Amino acid sequence: MSDRTIAVQASRLTKVFGSRVVLREVDLEAAEGEIVVLTGANGAGKTTLLRCLASLTRPTSGDVRWFGRPAGAEPAARRLVGMVPHQSCIYPHLTVRENVVFAARMQGLREAGRRADEWIAAAGLRPYAHRLATHLSRGMRQRVALARALVHDPPIVLMDEPFAGLDAEAAAWLVDLLAEFRGRSRVVCLATHDPDMTQGLTGRVFHLQSGRIEPPEPRRVVATGHNPGESLAA
Amino acid sequence: MAAQLWWIVHKDLVSECRTWRVWPAMLLFGLVVAFVFGVQADLPPDQRPQIAGGLLWLAIFFAGMQAVDHSCGAEREEGCWDGLMLYPIGAAAIYLAKLAVNAIALAALECLLIPAFAALADVPLMSHPGAMLLVALLGNVGICAVGTLLSGLVAGVRHGGSLLVLIVLPLVIPVVLAAAEATRLAAEGQLGPEWWRWVHLLAAFAAIFVTAGATLFDFVIRD
Repeated sequence: MSDRTIAVQASRLTKVFGSRVVLREVDLEAAEGEIVVLTGANGAGKTTLLRCLASLTRPTSGDVRWFGRPAGAEPAARRLVGMVPHQSCIYPHLTVRENVVFAARMQGLREAGRRADEWIAAAGLRPYAHRLATHLSRGMRQRVALARALVHDPPIVLMDEPFAGLDAEAAAWLVDLLAEFRGRSRVVCLATHDPDMTQGLTGRVFHLQSGRIEPPEPRRVVATGHNPGESLAA
Repeated sequence: MAAQLWWIVHKDLVSECRTWRVWPAMLLFGLVVAFVFGVQADLPPDQRPQIAGGLLWLAIFFAGMQAVDHSCGAEREEGCWDGLMLYPIGAAAIYLAKLAVNAIALAALECLLIPAFAALADVPLMSHPGAMLLVALLGNVGICAVGTLLSGLVAGVRHGGSLLVLIVLPLVIPVVLAAAEATRLAAEGQLGPEWWRWVHLLAAFAAIFVTAGATLFDFVIRD
């Protein structure tokens, strides 16, 4: 990892909500071309960590950097990140295409319509392109959420439970997509409570427990294989 | 930034045109106030403008708060607020876009309410249309500037809509008062220095509130 650029770096990240400590001095680094999987039970702090990495939530202490610069300090820097949050972030009364085109336009993309159409096709949404998002199933909305978040081809991809609601075909497409991202030096951080969904991907697994990465060191380089935590060659 | 600002406004207007979730209730509320005032107020013609100005602007405020509340509240559905915050635009741009959407909603309300008050209450609100337009524009911006900022604050709060009215009203009292007085003077045809003082006050409030809103919005909407 040392010869690759560190894309995402969290240092001594702590987040406190009221009297509840959600993250406790978390250190995390992810280099270009790396897939990092955050696992842990509900309430372990996965979503909060991802939100801090995306600059959506301000940490109580510690800092997050994207390619060495403070995360989200400049609005333009947010082009570096594509995030699929736990909720779909799609507008229910816009069509599938309007949602993705809106995202492309907000990212300042030229040919927003063409880029949106490419992602709509890739996500298997072409038959639904002109359907209102409110009429879509959970799985279809998740596909739209993925297209919306990735339409600008960001170098940093953050995903919170990206497999939620996806059928086997869409989940396989997503695994292939993540593998392709890895090949193209994109960094992917994804949180899941079900590591089995990520089988077929090579990366590192961080297990969060009560806001800490446990065990903190050493972080094993593993492929997220058929058995969670199974050690494989990276 | 201007293009992205426009796409947010466009998106909100398209959503509203497809659902009609807010505007019909807002317009109906305003019309009911105008109708009740027109039917019930048995005042001599020279006293009507004094009451009509205040009632008109209270009706605009209370009806308009429904649109203002929805502008940020709707973004919380499906977590869209997070999506918006992740785009490469500043919070000030989001604030200005939401302010524009709310100003358009209130302008539509004013287009209906001012003639309705003039007709039903028999008050010559349209006798100086340029003056009335200026007062409506400045009052609109003043109310929306405060409302938009605070709707971002309460968007994540349960029953935030009723809370919004409570926290916005004290802050916009100067705007409502100034707009009501300027409306009264315009209806009475007194467009002299006193009218201009109220208009200057409205303009000052609008400028201060828009500047404060654009500056503070980032602190209001982030965790």
